[in-house]
Amino acid sequence: MNRSAAPATARIWDPTIRLFHWLLVALLAFSWWSGEQHDMERHRLSGYAILTLLVFRLFWGFAGPRTARFASFVRGPRAVFAYVRELGSRKGHAADGHNPLGGWSVVALLAAIALMVGAGLFASDVDGIESGPLATYVSFEQSEAAASLHEAVFNVLLALTAVHILAVLFYLVWKRQNLVRPMLTGRRLAEEGETVADLGWSPIRALVGLVLAGVLAWAVSKGFRF
Amino acid sequence: MTMTLSKTISLAALGLSATLVAVTGTMALAASPAATAVATRQANFKKMGAAMKVLKDQISSGTISRPQAVAAAKTLAATGRAQAGLFPNGSGASSGAKTDALPAVWSNRSAFDGQIKAFVAQADKMVAVAGSGDLDAVTAQFKAVGGSCASCHKQFRADN
Repeated sequence: MNRSAAPATARIWDPTIRLFHWLLVALLAFSWWSGEQHDMERHRLSGYAILTLLVFRLFWGFAGPRTARFASFVRGPRAVFAYVRELGSRKGHAADGHNPLGGWSVVALLAAIALMVGAGLFASDVDGIESGPLATYVSFEQSEAAASLHEAVFNVLLALTAVHILAVLFYLVWKRQNLVRPMLTGRRLAEEGETVADLGWSPIRALVGLVLAGVLAWAVSKGFRF
Repeated sequence: MTMTLSKTISLAALGLSATLVAVTGTMALAASPAATAVATRQANFKKMGAAMKVLKDQISSGTISRPQAVAAAKTLAATGRAQAGLFPNGSGASSGAKTDALPAVWSNRSAFDGQIKAFVAQADKMVAVAGSGDLDAVTAQFKAVGGSCASCHKQFRADN
């Protein structure tokens, strides 16, 4: 008796990956704002939170549900080219999760954020007053170079974010597929009679990843001095 | 002496360009005291930044190494004193030099000089505090020194 009024949906994004996504959006915005305000105390805290998210995401790329795993969305050139050739078609992406090109955009975004956080940890301002927790391990010149890198990578991150948003808009307008709603609700509409494999996400594993990421970020924030 | 028109023109052009080279050369020479002041004070600020980092690193690691800390504090005080004389009139951005020093340095000179004096006083205090080797005292004085840097920069340095 499966004749309820509500349309059938399929779960494609687990709760933690959605939380990761939207927290990252908020924290990147907050990091930018606190940096502009020279509120370095909060800027550092925001950076540690982003580091926690980043480590969790790497963990989830190996231990998470199928749509979160790197093995499922980091594809070779053949798959990417095949996808690009079909880009103009008005059909959406059939498989759940990142498409072959979008997968690389995720890799690029994660790499840029990692570089951003990494450079920030070693950075110092020109006055030697404010610095990241790992600046003690490098010279003043290296620390300043890290600060320049931190600034430069921000522009790369902005560009990648713009591409990301444009791709989502492209899907919405051209392919008539809303990618934002599933990232909020975790679900997409299912075809009639379609059976979708269970995501297979484990809250216990998520907790393990979160604790791991939190401890690592905490150790970094202390500059490994306990 | 007959001279073709074209010869006259090229000679005139030659003379003009020679004058131009001479004038720009003189201008470059004239600008050099300002340029030297800018380069020297910027190198000094870098030295002070590095000295601040020495103190900051010791505070972060939780142990004050007295000789190093005192040397860094002395660098701050001595370099700060030298800075006072390195902002001659005409060494602002309007001189064409690449500088973050705002015009207020010269239009509000007494306030600027007061800021440098305040910084030097805090740096002198840091020399004494560093000599004590007391972590809490150095931490507190570092905040005071950093605060005087920041308050001057807010008023007199371009934010970029």
